[in-house]
Amino acid sequence: MIPIRALFLLVLMVASSAWAQGPAYDIGVDGLSCPFCAYGIEKQLHKLDGVEKVETDIEKAVVVVRVKDGSTLDRNQAMKAVKKAGFSLRSFEQSEEK
Amino acid sequence: MRCLQWTPAFVFLTLTMGVSSVVDAVPITFNTALPVAEGEFIFRQQLRWLRSSDDPSEADRDMRVVATISVLGYGVNSKLAVFGVLPYGDKTLEMNRSGTEIERDNQGLADATVFARYTFWQDNIRGRTFRLAGIGGFTAPTGDDDKSDGFGRLPAPLQNGTGAWDWFGGAVVTYQTLGYQLDGQFSYRHNREANNFDAGDEARLDLSWQYRLWPRKLSGGVPGFFYGVLEANYLHQDKNQRGGQSDENSGGDTVWLSPGLQYVTRRWVLEAVVQKPIYQNLNGNALKNDQIVTTSFRMNF
Repeated sequence: MIPIRALFLLVLMVASSAWAQGPAYDIGVDGLSCPFCAYGIEKQLHKLDGVEKVETDIEKAVVVVRVKDGSTLDRNQAMKAVKKAGFSLRSFEQSEEK
Repeated sequence: MRCLQWTPAFVFLTLTMGVSSVVDAVPITFNTALPVAEGEFIFRQQLRWLRSSDDPSEADRDMRVVATISVLGYGVNSKLAVFGVLPYGDKTLEMNRSGTEIERDNQGLADATVFARYTFWQDNIRGRTFRLAGIGGFTAPTGDDDKSDGFGRLPAPLQNGTGAWDWFGGAVVTYQTLGYQLDGQFSYRHNREANNFDAGDEARLDLSWQYRLWPRKLSGGVPGFFYGVLEANYLHQDKNQRGGQSDENSGGDTVWLSPGLQYVTRRWVLEAVVQKPIYQNLNGNALKNDQIVTTSFRMNF
């Protein structure tokens, strides 16, 4: 049987790791219209400092970028990365959810 | 003995070895104006079968080619990409020579091609893009061009290389949406003289339409796309020159219609196309093409 104290610590660790996630950003990309092209954008965004996770929704033409706790991403960085991939930045905003 | 001529089918094979589609989603038989991201590599491996057996002459020639074509592309920046192409061919020719069936064959690395593509203009909106790019490059004589067998020196189409430095240039336009893609390409190739032989210059026009068959409805993420592909390819070749004289059994016009299938994911593409000639107006006894089958694998990294 797991001691109550150990269980409490485990719950605390899981909860704190979730809280430790950095902010996420929704990046609207114009021109993105095939799966093979999505990889180029994701690769450019992964190169940025602090980027932890990149997920693309091709139908919405939006790439969601989550950065590490304590890191941030600004519009200029996102625009350069999207341009290097051969596309255009349509929108940039911090996600509501964490 | 009747020499095997540089027929449009072989010209087409040589051409597409050099400037075939190497990037992004589609088309299969030629280039696209879509980008290669800065610092990104793209590798493509093609396997191609070609047969030409419709011989109007008494030689009853039957030419078969199996070629593997390796392509490596690199995105210098978002507009400029450079490509290297290295083909390997296995060629077999069966023909009637003075009432006797003979077979001649050859294998080896063919001429390597280097070319660049620059996107001059692009218009991106949500879920679609329009691009116009220029392409230009050259083919270097890296393949053997002086091989012989028991019957003597092999004819030019059976050699692995031409021995000449050739150049080409053109333009490619792409309109891509989430549901379909349209591409068009025009290119001109200037073939230069080597070994007292000058293959005729070539002009080609290619069109491609790709339609997303599956998934019919998108619902988040980046699913693999399954495309149906229909392409049309037109090739005009000038007559060859041999020893300064025009070869009346060479050159002409060919139109291929090419249905194909393609599965595209984020990292790789699998595709196959069959090119059937629907119109061949060749000069003299130039050997006609039966069909070209191409399968291909692409990946980016």
